[in-house]
Amino acid sequence: MKKILLLFLLLFTVTAAICQTRVITGKVTDQKDGSPLPGVTVSVIESPTVGGQTDISGSFRLSVPANAKTLTFRFIGYKEARAQIEGTVINATLVSDPKQLTEVVVVGYGTQKRSNITGSISSISSKEIEGTPVTSIQQAIQGKSAGVLVQANNGKLGQGIKINVRGTASISAGTQPLIVLDGIVLNQTNISGVISAASDPLADINFNDIESVEILKDAAASAIYGARASNGVMLLTSKKGKAGKSKINFMAQWGSSKPSRRLKFLNSDQYIQILRRAAIGAGKLDFANQDPDNPDYATVDDAIAEEQDFVTSRLTRYSAGNTNFNAVNTNWESLAYQKAPQQQYDLNISGGNDKTTYYIGGQYLNQKGILNGNGFKRYSGRINLNTKVYTNLDVGMNLNFTSDLNNRLSSDNQFSTPLQIVALSPVTPVIDPRTGLLSGTLPGEASNYPVYYNPLISTANSYYNTTIYRTIGNIYANWQIIKNLSFRSEFGVDQTNQNEDSYYGRLTFRDTGTPNGSGQNTNNSIIHYTVNNYFNYKNTFATDHSLDVTLGTSYEYSHFVGNDVTGQQFPSDAYKQIASAAVISAGSSSQDEYSFVSYFAKANYAYKSKYLLSLSARTDASSRFGANNRYGFFPAASAGWILSNEDFLKQSNVVSNLKLKASYGLTGNAEIANYAALGLFSGDAGYNGAAGQRYFQIANPNLKWETTAQVDVGVEFGLFNNRFSGEFDYYRKNTRDLLLNVNIPGTSGISTQTQNLGKLYNQGVELTLSADVFVGKFKWTTSINAAYNKNIVTFVNGQILGTNDLNRVIEGQPIGVFYGREYAGVDPANGDALYYVNKKDADGNLDRSKTNDFNVAQNVVLGNPTPKYIGGFTNTFSYSGFDLSVTLQGAAGNKIFAGGGQYMSASASNGFDNQTVDQMSYWDKPGDITNVPEPRLFYGNGTNASSRYLSSGSYLRCKTVSLGYSIPKNVLAKVKLERARIFMNAYNLFLITKYKGWDPEVNADYQASNINLGVDFYSAPQPRTITFGVNIGL
Amino acid sequence: MKNFKLTYIAALSILLLLTACNKQLDLKPHQQIEQNQAILTSTDVQITLIGAYNRAGVADLYSGSIFLEADLLATQSVITWTGTYQELTQIVSQTIPNDNVFIADLWLAGYQVINQTNNVLANLDKVDAAEKDRVEGEAKFLRGMVYFDLVRLFGKAYNDGTPTTNLGVPIVLTPTKAIDASSQVARATVEDTYKQAIADLTDAKAKLPEDNSFFANKFAASAILARLYLQKGDYQNALTEANYVITTGPFELNSNYQDEFPNPAQVHVDNTPEDIFAIQVTPQQGTNSLNTYYASSDNSGRGDVVIRQAFLNSFEAGDERLNMYYLDGEDNRTSKFDNPYGNVHVVRLAEMYLIRAEGNLRRSSSIGASPASDINTIRERAGLDPLNTVDLAAIIAERRHELAFEGGFFLHDAKRLAQNVGALPYSSPKLVFPIPLREINANPNLKQNEGY
Repeated sequence: MKKILLLFLLLFTVTAAICQTRVITGKVTDQKDGSPLPGVTVSVIESPTVGGQTDISGSFRLSVPANAKTLTFRFIGYKEARAQIEGTVINATLVSDPKQLTEVVVVGYGTQKRSNITGSISSISSKEIEGTPVTSIQQAIQGKSAGVLVQANNGKLGQGIKINVRGTASISAGTQPLIVLDGIVLNQTNISGVISAASDPLADINFNDIESVEILKDAAASAIYGARASNGVMLLTSKKGKAGKSKINFMAQWGSSKPSRRLKFLNSDQYIQILRRAAIGAGKLDFANQDPDNPDYATVDDAIAEEQDFVTSRLTRYSAGNTNFNAVNTNWESLAYQKAPQQQYDLNISGGNDKTTYYIGGQYLNQKGILNGNGFKRYSGRINLNTKVYTNLDVGMNLNFTSDLNNRLSSDNQFSTPLQIVALSPVTPVIDPRTGLLSGTLPGEASNYPVYYNPLISTANSYYNTTIYRTIGNIYANWQIIKNLSFRSEFGVDQTNQNEDSYYGRLTFRDTGTPNGSGQNTNNSIIHYTVNNYFNYKNTFATDHSLDVTLGTSYEYSHFVGNDVTGQQFPSDAYKQIASAAVISAGSSSQDEYSFVSYFAKANYAYKSKYLLSLSARTDASSRFGANNRYGFFPAASAGWILSNEDFLKQSNVVSNLKLKASYGLTGNAEIANYAALGLFSGDAGYNGAAGQRYFQIANPNLKWETTAQVDVGVEFGLFNNRFSGEFDYYRKNTRDLLLNVNIPGTSGISTQTQNLGKLYNQGVELTLSADVFVGKFKWTTSINAAYNKNIVTFVNGQILGTNDLNRVIEGQPIGVFYGREYAGVDPANGDALYYVNKKDADGNLDRSKTNDFNVAQNVVLGNPTPKYIGGFTNTFSYSGFDLSVTLQGAAGNKIFAGGGQYMSASASNGFDNQTVDQMSYWDKPGDITNVPEPRLFYGNGTNASSRYLSSGSYLRCKTVSLGYSIPKNVLAKVKLERARIFMNAYNLFLITKYKGWDPEVNADYQASNINLGVDFYSAPQPRTITFGVNIGL
Repeated sequence: MKNFKLTYIAALSILLLLTACNKQLDLKPHQQIEQNQAILTSTDVQITLIGAYNRAGVADLYSGSIFLEADLLATQSVITWTGTYQELTQIVSQTIPNDNVFIADLWLAGYQVINQTNNVLANLDKVDAAEKDRVEGEAKFLRGMVYFDLVRLFGKAYNDGTPTTNLGVPIVLTPTKAIDASSQVARATVEDTYKQAIADLTDAKAKLPEDNSFFANKFAASAILARLYLQKGDYQNALTEANYVITTGPFELNSNYQDEFPNPAQVHVDNTPEDIFAIQVTPQQGTNSLNTYYASSDNSGRGDVVIRQAFLNSFEAGDERLNMYYLDGEDNRTSKFDNPYGNVHVVRLAEMYLIRAEGNLRRSSSIGASPASDINTIRERAGLDPLNTVDLAAIIAERRHELAFEGGFFLHDAKRLAQNVGALPYSSPKLVFPIPLREINANPNLKQNEGY
């Protein structure tokens, strides 16, 4: 694709020199296989204005001046070649150079030579992501770009995945980067209807169609996207055809997934033991807490006996009436998982001639998730087409259509989500012997048996199918108006039509509360238009001054339309559509719109390829903002100095590249609710058939963008002809006018108002190093990236924000910092859970004494939920047809809150949930030293949210392994194949962590937000996937 | 070159096409309307009033939580809590952290109703003359009732110390238009909060019609006043209001106690003849949170509350009210709330008889009927033999059996009667809800309750 782009750009710069004395012809071929190379730039060293390009057959024809002595041949992805001009026919062969592959980088509204870039841009090529056995592109790039944190909420397929570029820059507005595919802003709105957990809008994209991913990280690179660039910008570029012989590529892989980690829970004997002990603990308190004037129990033993009777009756119930409680020992956790095979087929054909090029790609992917009932299927097709209508006008289109089917699961906090099965008692049999049916199935002893709803019933009796049809496409025209001036116009559409169809059969009654079945059907669609028009002027003056200017406008409009209907009372479970529902219990429809109108400009100037200067600016207006503050202006400037092009380094044998760069600019964040600036009443407040309206939202006509001022300084270097290279960046992003949902007094009848209030910063360093350790027959390249980010909220007007257990926003602390009571272990004398008082005295000293009164203990900062350090480490090896690539990925410096701990690690003090095995070290008698408080059934001893449930979330994971063998050409020639490779891919092969839960890469899906971070709540582990496949080229 | 000039002009005009774009930027919501367009006509005010009922019926308020949470704070000897919502466990164990989310939500929900009614009351001039009194009365009924319920939960009991200095809740009587310093309202005293509730309910009683479908009517206001005066220890006024409802109102006791709690295959049922005011719950709208926590999983609930045998033993033999309790496996449960689409009884006639009986007993009068006669009306409906004489203990016992789990009476009666709640005296700060930390943080003028 890059070749093509360059071809467009250079096609018109071929000039006829004035003094023509000789005509030279020749052919340029690829050293690898002798195939012709079209689009190679051929020029004369002695007179740089003279040059041309090779045609489709790799041939060129050039008139050169008399003084011409040397020709150069330059082509992206190949090492430059030179040839002395002797005679009139000069052939050349070019050697491919992997280092050069990214020489041209896609940037906002154009492309730029890597060497001239002064901003901070990470590029990931198709080679690095192709064939990764995952659903979405974010998963494929995890660990491959410095400063880009990718984190899945859990191991469910098609679920929301967080991407943070250089930290989290907002508290209440969006934090995902803007995603642009072939110039079109992609819709990233989560339109998951019934399930509170977000779905992943990027799962609709077949990433094997993607040629490159560019992540624009600093203001210099991203400010051209103005009001939506604060979280970084991810530019996706799809594969394009190349002039030349048609290429057919086929890939297939098959494999399966397993949970990457399992947890241990109590067996029946342990479960009975801890509950018996919990009855004693509770009985003691029943006795102590009674009304002395009117006591219920004469002695403490009476109270304990009553609690023991209660436990006996419950154990009898949960063991399906069997009084021999430990006769059954069910490992429920193992029943949450299913066999998870997957298969994937990719076929693409590309090619073209000098007028028209094409790429046609297709994919079928079918993955099963590790959790019961979870699955993802994708059918994807793409056509990219470009044709020259006139020599100065080419038009084309990029069109992608996808159909997905996601078999989704309830959110992590629902009884019906498979992993909540671990709460069930080990004494409960899977099949109720009294009915021969799954435990908890009606008819039978369903009443509060087992302890909770059995999620296996949902697996067998309900479904939730999300079907998405998505079309992403653009049509464009490139018009070379005059030699150095071009105009591009593009119109793009991203349309998503989503249907969510769910049915919950009669046996799921305990979960839904609805007898005789219930169903819901939701249709949501979003249409998103982008119109871009821009001019580009590119010229070189007086040989030393090169200038590249872009000026344009953009308009975006997004329209959401949704409707939803819920029905109850179905004739039988054979009828699953709402057409059969006797009661239509709910129905609604809704619409939403937003728009952006933008003007942008940028200029890149280079002097002698040594001194670089770039300016960019964008003005954005959006419907989302208050009438008083509708327009925002986002300028950026950057400069670079390529020292290696200076005379004093030019001849160095050691330093092949050295560049210093610095940038500063403003970007914005506009990702808030569409109508947050308006004071509103809502018409959704009816009462028993009478229609009503309610006060809904308070106005803020001054509402405007969140602004981030970012400074970046960096150095790029290459040593020994770039065999060893690297990049180091320091950045600081100061965000002000935060779009904050500010807590206002509830006495106003409303709890929050979106205001521009607050400041925060992200500051950090990023380092990328890569090296060709061995070249030659045995090749070893290694690449490491590491990033440190410090995120601090500096001002929120003294408020403490947050809605879940421990995540808060507090001045002087990172977003979502864990803030709460500090657990101080167990009182050896009586088994009480203790907390540090942590009250500050007049001198500011903390009172470190311990208390058993949770309310006396003060909230303190307990830890950061976001990793401070993230990184990736990729090694690739190849030797005589074999290739191996291994990516390790990790995160460190964060903590995880075990939100499910209050149930599953509660020393049986919070009900009959089965417990994790570590709870067996509970306090039993005076003098016991332990961290697990005395079990006290339903007395919640130590189960309040505190640092008891916090632990380190640092980990190192073997993210991807790819091992392949390419069959030698001479063998292939016999079967008329160009290429054939067999391979094995592994995903999440192993994990090193101290975290005791299922997976340290976690954020419970039902509550995940900018603030709610690092919470584990029955969240499924990541899958460990191994696949085998073939890749065949014709 | 002329062609090039044309080219530039053409291209520039494409750019300019996009300059006049304010129209594209003025996008209005589809499901909401702007505040200044929302209340313009008489109908607008009335649909805002409907919205106030909608807010009153949210899960955190009169759908039942406001009664459930009060009872959970005071029923340690009556129930066994087997629920796993920490927020409720904290209430049951009488150790409520000041950031208990359920309590924060209850506070918010209360003031949503208040703001909603304030929006109605500020626009009464727009209401058609024929509807004006009714609209004003309904809005004041809801506002007065909410103030009364909030002050009972967030303030000290009226009979505990000095109500004229003890803090109640902030009083807001105007609709919210903007957020500024005046939004940071301090807490009024318990006395002033009661006064506000009495003023609202008295006004409501005067303006409401006698018959008003399932919306609040004159007797609903009077009945809540009766409850309020009893809570306050103003027995004369309690007696007067209760007698007014009994003698003037159209209500009658159901012949069977069970008929007050109909559960025909989980469908909505209209108010019973005994209901004075009930929050309507239908499959389309509203929830019944009493169902959520009291009903077993066979009846769409979580079955979090198990009734202790000792409480059931306190009923006399043959008491038909025991029919509303059953053994579910080994657990005693109440079936009062088995219908997930059952209305939430906010106040019903039986309570008026009990209030009149107590008022007459304490005032040594027999207005309307003698205390014994009123108690026997209740007892006979429950299939029990009449008593010849009644004392306060008998009336209180009758209240416990008649109204159990319906209106937070376990807590509110303990407080007005100055009885211990478990090991805690009625005046313990642990029996008063904390002012939610969220509110304290958002409003520096709010003072926290003792012990939080």
